[in-house]
Amino acid sequence: MSAQARATRPAVGIGYRWSIDQWTEDNLGRFDVLEVTVDHCIYGGARQRAAIEKLVGRVKLTAHGVGLSIGTDAPLDLEYLDRVADIVERLRAPAYSEHLAFTRVPGRDLANLLPLPRTTAVAKSIIAKVRTVQSRVPVPFLLENIANVFEWPDSTLSEAEFLELICRETGAGLLLDVENLRVNAHNHGMDPRAFLDALPAGSVQEVHVAGGMAWRNRSRDRPFLADTHSQPASGGTLDLLAYALRRQTPSAIVLERDDRLDAVDEILEDVARIRARLTPADTQVRRAAVA
Amino acid sequence: MPRLLERQQALLSYLTSPAAIFGAGPGRVDTRLAGIDRRRLHLEARFSHDKRMEKIRGILPKTFDLLGANLSRVMRDFAAACPPDDISRIHNARQFQHYLRRRWERRSARRPYLADVAACELALAEARSFAEDHVTPIRPAAARLTRVRRRPGVLLVRCRYDVRPVFEGGNARIARRPTFLAVAVPPGAIQPAVAELAAPVFKLLATLDTPHPRAGIGHTKDAEALIEALAAEGLVDLCP
Repeated sequence: MSAQARATRPAVGIGYRWSIDQWTEDNLGRFDVLEVTVDHCIYGGARQRAAIEKLVGRVKLTAHGVGLSIGTDAPLDLEYLDRVADIVERLRAPAYSEHLAFTRVPGRDLANLLPLPRTTAVAKSIIAKVRTVQSRVPVPFLLENIANVFEWPDSTLSEAEFLELICRETGAGLLLDVENLRVNAHNHGMDPRAFLDALPAGSVQEVHVAGGMAWRNRSRDRPFLADTHSQPASGGTLDLLAYALRRQTPSAIVLERDDRLDAVDEILEDVARIRARLTPADTQVRRAAVA
Repeated sequence: MPRLLERQQALLSYLTSPAAIFGAGPGRVDTRLAGIDRRRLHLEARFSHDKRMEKIRGILPKTFDLLGANLSRVMRDFAAACPPDDISRIHNARQFQHYLRRRWERRSARRPYLADVAACELALAEARSFAEDHVTPIRPAAARLTRVRRRPGVLLVRCRYDVRPVFEGGNARIARRPTFLAVAVPPGAIQPAVAELAAPVFKLLATLDTPHPRAGIGHTKDAEALIEALAAEGLVDLCP
């Protein structure tokens, strides 16, 4: 793809949620893209699937997953992947994204994204799995950075190095979650701009934006930030988005909201705030960066 | 260094333990997790547990309300007895209902009908979920309907108490008496309905998982009338 073509504005939209399906349908013209969670298609009901399939061709749909657990040190669930492939084709999604994380081991499922030790050995095993995903799902595969509460002590690579190594070896793209990045920067005392600077220009294919909450604990001086997808995106998150867009040219920016979905005005406001960060000047800078 | 899977298993085992979730007990951390900040593990465990309990509360809201002041004690005991092994809301709610049936009834004199309330709420959620996922097939009008089966999506709930007042919002006393309920979304409806059945009808429906010849149920007019009545209520399907 040429730098000129990639410098067009990214599509801006929201994650599709069944509980606000009618509202989404009524406001479809306000979004350039909807991100569909493939697990909702796999495990959701027939009415939900039908509602999602009704959107095909009317708005750009991207495919996102939460159930792969690519980081579990065990073989991938190939049956699950084949179902993902089927859904991705039905949605005509341009890409399929998942988290660089694990959620379960045989017999236990935390249903929460957990980090991996960032070592070259672990990267090697993830690289093999990414290749398996790529061989079964017929669209580009993107890996997303997660918000992690804790770190493994034996990590030898930074998060950016870990992601970059896996993506470089496999050709996978990145789904950059700027809220996860902000949360990690706050909770782990890292520099989010250094993380963004370490990513190769043009490697970010999609972006997630969300709003979380601060948790206060009497024994801690600083609040702990949690990625709850329940609040308006913070100014800090949008600043990181703007910073990322200086070097990255994502095709889609998706607002994730999973709680307080009745606050639809906040959702529309956040979409407008995201769009406000996509100035023509940003596009010019991005064009220069890619060129 | 142990294999990564072993460390991941040790991590999930710890994160789903009461020691990690509530900071209770000796809280000895597996040596395979050495070097990980324990306060952070406690936070992770707490977040994950809270998310799980919110999922269950979404399916069993009345049960949680009725637990009242016992809720935190029950949550701790539940976390110890039933670690999460599946992401689905209904699966986790079913784990909680089974836990209440096993533990609550044996240990608590107060609201001994709680497991029955949970069973009904679970059945309501399962009936909604089934209706959401299935379309009622239309039978050809001319087909000769010689067999009968329980309509898929009809949940049978055997209660020790008549807990229907809990769902009807009145102040009626919860009476201890065996109550046989069928829960289903009637054809064409959106919300599930609850019907009380006579014990023999409940037993009959329980045997009709697969199509049975109508003649096998009885040749009497009463048997025929019963089948027609159950079909009209959407509790059985008549099949060719």
